[in-house]
Formats: sequence, structure tokens, C-alpha cells
Amino acid sequence: MTAVQMLGTSLLLALFVLLAGCYGVLYCLARLRASRRIGRAAAAAYALQGLTAGLLAFSPLDFWWKALLLASFVAYLPIPPLTWRLLENLHEPEEQHS
Amino acid sequence: MFRSQHLALKYFAAAMTLFGIMIVAGLLASTQYVQDGFLLNILDFSVTKMLHIDTMIISLLMGFIGAVYWFVPIELERETVGIRLAEVMFWIFCAAVAVVAAVFIFVQYGPATEMSLWFINQGRKYVEAPRWAAIGITLVVLVFIYNVVGTAIKTKKVTGIMGVLMVDLIPLFGLYLIAFPSITNMSEDQYWWWWLVHLWVEATWEILIGCIMALALMQLLGTSRRIVETWLYIEVALVLGTGILGLGHHYFWIGTPSYWLGIGGFFSALEPLPLLGMVVHAIYDAGAHRMKTTNKPAFFWVMAEAFGNFIGGGVFGFMMTLPQINLFTHGTQWTVSHGHFAFWGAYSCGVLAVIYLALQKSRAAQQLDGAAWKWSFALLNIGMLGMVGALLVSGISQAFYERAMGGSTLQAFIEGQTNVWFVQGIVMRLVFGFVFAAGYVVLIYDLLTIGKKRTAAEGLQARVAGGPA
Repeated sequence: MTAVQMLGTSLLLALFVLLAGCYGVLYCLARLRASRRIGRAAAAAYALQGLTAGLLAFSPLDFWWKALLLASFVAYLPIPPLTWRLLENLHEPEEQHS
Repeated sequence: MFRSQHLALKYFAAAMTLFGIMIVAGLLASTQYVQDGFLLNILDFSVTKMLHIDTMIISLLMGFIGAVYWFVPIELERETVGIRLAEVMFWIFCAAVAVVAAVFIFVQYGPATEMSLWFINQGRKYVEAPRWAAIGITLVVLVFIYNVVGTAIKTKKVTGIMGVLMVDLIPLFGLYLIAFPSITNMSEDQYWWWWLVHLWVEATWEILIGCIMALALMQLLGTSRRIVETWLYIEVALVLGTGILGLGHHYFWIGTPSYWLGIGGFFSALEPLPLLGMVVHAIYDAGAHRMKTTNKPAFFWVMAEAFGNFIGGGVFGFMMTLPQINLFTHGTQWTVSHGHFAFWGAYSCGVLAVIYLALQKSRAAQQLDGAAWKWSFALLNIGMLGMVGALLVSGISQAFYERAMGGSTLQAFIEGQTNVWFVQGIVMRLVFGFVFAAGYVVLIYDLLTIGKKRTAAEGLQARVAGGPA
């Protein structure tokens, strides 16, 4: 791996997780404000994460790391909605009670 | 207030004092990077760095212990068992820390004999305390375990959070014993030493702060026990699932078998996933309560913890954790950048949140707000972001020029130290270190004063209740 490849790959890896965070935050904001526009922004962040994963496919990382990145890209998708649903289900009895 | 909570306030005061010493030592060490020969042969870099790291660890440990002493009587609705012994141990702990710091500063090093191990320095990074002091820390933790478990047994009550906490105290104590043996084989020594460092930080401490934050959320936002306990169990499963074998990312280059490259890389890559769940939880809570709380500083520090943990641990960690990248980045300022951000996000912010919670209760303030905490919050976070950004620039320069281009030779290392990117990053780290230090000064002012001035309505209410106006 050359110096430029090392730097490019590491920055793409950081961007990969950062975009996952953006997707999660925007998804939550979209739910809180019932905003379709923010929802679309969340989808865009996730799409950009996919694009980053695609760019990482051309990096000099070994095949299995690329496969792991692809798998984790897929795994990030349901985390915000599942967590949100879990939290709603947990809070629901308290809200009904109050 | 329970005596246990008075003891907690003492622990918080000690933690904040050590936090200040950590900053001073950090500024000295940063200056030594910028100014060659600064305090040479008086207080060498090896000493200032050791003080910086060790005070950080002890400061956080004292913050955690204080938080548990604060919450145990609330959780179990009685005074902590063995509180007198705990109070004695607190003073012994403080005295031991002071003596060790004095030895580090004034004696610094000794001959390669058993005597040095016992009285000067055990020589193992992060746990350098001489053996007598390490035994003292072990006793403090044993008393701490006795306090927590004894109180639970006495009340015959084990809540979900207390159950997790008590189980977690076993590795918290057991892993520290790894600080003692002096193993001559370097690889073997590093192998076990990482059990202490990594598994303390990314397993037992994560669970400990998880328990503390669960208790804090119940107090801060009135979140129900069912919710925080369910979430705690999920967090424990996810953190342990990814964190324990994430240990492998420390085994890449210390002479351990090559299968650790796969294990370490795989589990480290999974570590950001639960952190994203925590971010979602934080935003949900903030939204559910419409950012309304009677303790704004605690609330904002809780939020800072969720985001800081994700970015510092998740983003900065993932950037350099895969073996092919880590080959170039390990041991550079890049790692230091990740370490600063992750410790700040995962632990320090949480401890500060709990301190604000405790102050609100101890000062019987209905509302905790003001300008000072906002200044300290901004300065500390801007200072931290500036430092990690600057260190990242320096670290990238090292990995790029010294490692990837220079081939990690001694010549490349020397040239790397004078590279303009490296030097500018190191200078900016010092600048932002001063910003961080300014934030600390405001923080201490705020902690000493916040909630002491009562509003007219609170004063009237206190007079009606027969309390001090």
C-alpha cells in the first residue's frame, strides 16, 4: 500500500462511519419533527455511505475487509429504525400510564 | 443526604483536582514537544507524560467510585454498609496518590532492583504506581466492592442495575492484579498488560459508566427503571460482544500469532455499531423531553458523552483499526488523537454529568443553569476538538512521511519530527491545550458556585419549609 493509498483509505473509512452517524442523527430528527425533507436527507446520508463503501471497494484493502465493510454497510441500515421502535415500545406503557 | 453521598462529593472534588493536575502535566508535555530542552533533567517528558496519563486514569476512577457512592443509597434506600471504612480509605487513597505523585516528580527513577518496583515505579505504562501504592489501590477497590455488595445483601435487594454493577466489579478488581507481575518476555508482558488496559477501558469501564448513566438518566430525566435496565442489558451485550475480542487490535504488532489480525480487525470494525444505537437513544431522549430539564449542564454533558463516544471511539477508531492501515498508524500521534477523543467522549463527559447531578441535589437547587457552565462546556469541547484535530494532522504526517514513505527507519523518524505538518499540528495542540485549560478554570468556578444562589421563589420556599434561605 502506497502512502497516498493509505491516507485515502483511512479517510474513507472515517467518512464511512461518520456518514452512518449522520444517517442515524438525521433519521432521528426526521422522526422527531415528522419531516419528510429531513428523512430524505437521512436517506441521502445513507446513500453517500454506500458510495463511500463503493469507493473503498477500489482500495487496496484485502477482500475480506471489503466484504466486512459491505456487511456493516447493510447492518447500519436497520439500526436507527429498530432502535427507535424499541425505544417507542419501551416508552409506550409509561406514556399511556401518564 | 447520606454519608455515602458526602463521601461521593469528596471523591468528585479529588477527581476534579486530579483532572487539573492532568491538564498541567499535559501542557508541560505538549510544551516539551514544541520547545526542545524544556525542563530537561528537571522534569523530563517521560515524567510529565506519565503524570498526565496516570492522573487521567485515577481521576476517572475516582469519578466512577464517587458516582457509585452517590447512587447506591438512592438505589437501595439506605446508608452504604461500611461507610466509615470507606471514608478512611478515601483519605488513604488521596494520601497514596499524593505520595506517588511526589515520588514521580522528585525521585523519578531508581536502579533496576526490586526496591524500585516497590517504592518508585513498577514501569508498566498506565499503571506505573509503585507496588505499595498498587496494593493500596487494590485495598480501596476491595473496600468499595464490600460497600456495594454489602449494602445490597443488607437490604436484600438487587435491582437490575445493581446486579450488573456488582458483576462488573469482579473484573474491575481482578484485571488490576495484572499490574503486578514483572514478566521479562516483552511480548508476553504486553499480551497480559493489554488485558488490563483494554479490558478495563473497553469492557469493565464501559459497563460501569453504563450503570452510572442508567442511574443518572433516572434522576435527570425521570426515565423509568424498566427502560434504563432494558437498555443497559442491550448495551452490555453489544459492548461486550464487540469490545472483548476488539482487544485483538492491540495484538497486531507485539509478537502474537497472526490470527489476531483477523480477530482484532473484525471485532473492532463492529465496535461503532452499538455506538450508533447510543446516539439514537440520546436523540430520542432529548426529543421526548423537548430538551427540557431542571439540570441543563448535566443534560448537555450526557449528550456530549453519546456524540463524543461515537465520534471519538467510533469514527476516529475505525479510521485506523484495520490491520492494513494500523500497520502505518500505530504508535503515532494519530493514535493519541483517537485516545484523547475516546476517553473524553466515553468517560469524562459522563463523570461531569454526574457531578452536576450531585451538586443539584446537595445544594437543593430546583434549577441548575447559568452562563459559566456554557462557557466551560464550549471551551472544553472546542479545546478537545482542536487538540484531536491537531494531533490527527501530526499523526497523518507521521504515518504518511515516516512510515509509508520513509519505511519506518530511524532516519525517517528523525525527519518526520521536523516535518512542517507534524510541527504545526504539535504547536496547535498546545494552543488548544490552553483553550481546554481555560475551560477547566471556568468549570471549577462553576462547580464551586452553581446552584448556591437561590432565586427569590426558592428562598421563599426554603423559608416556608424551615430550611436556610
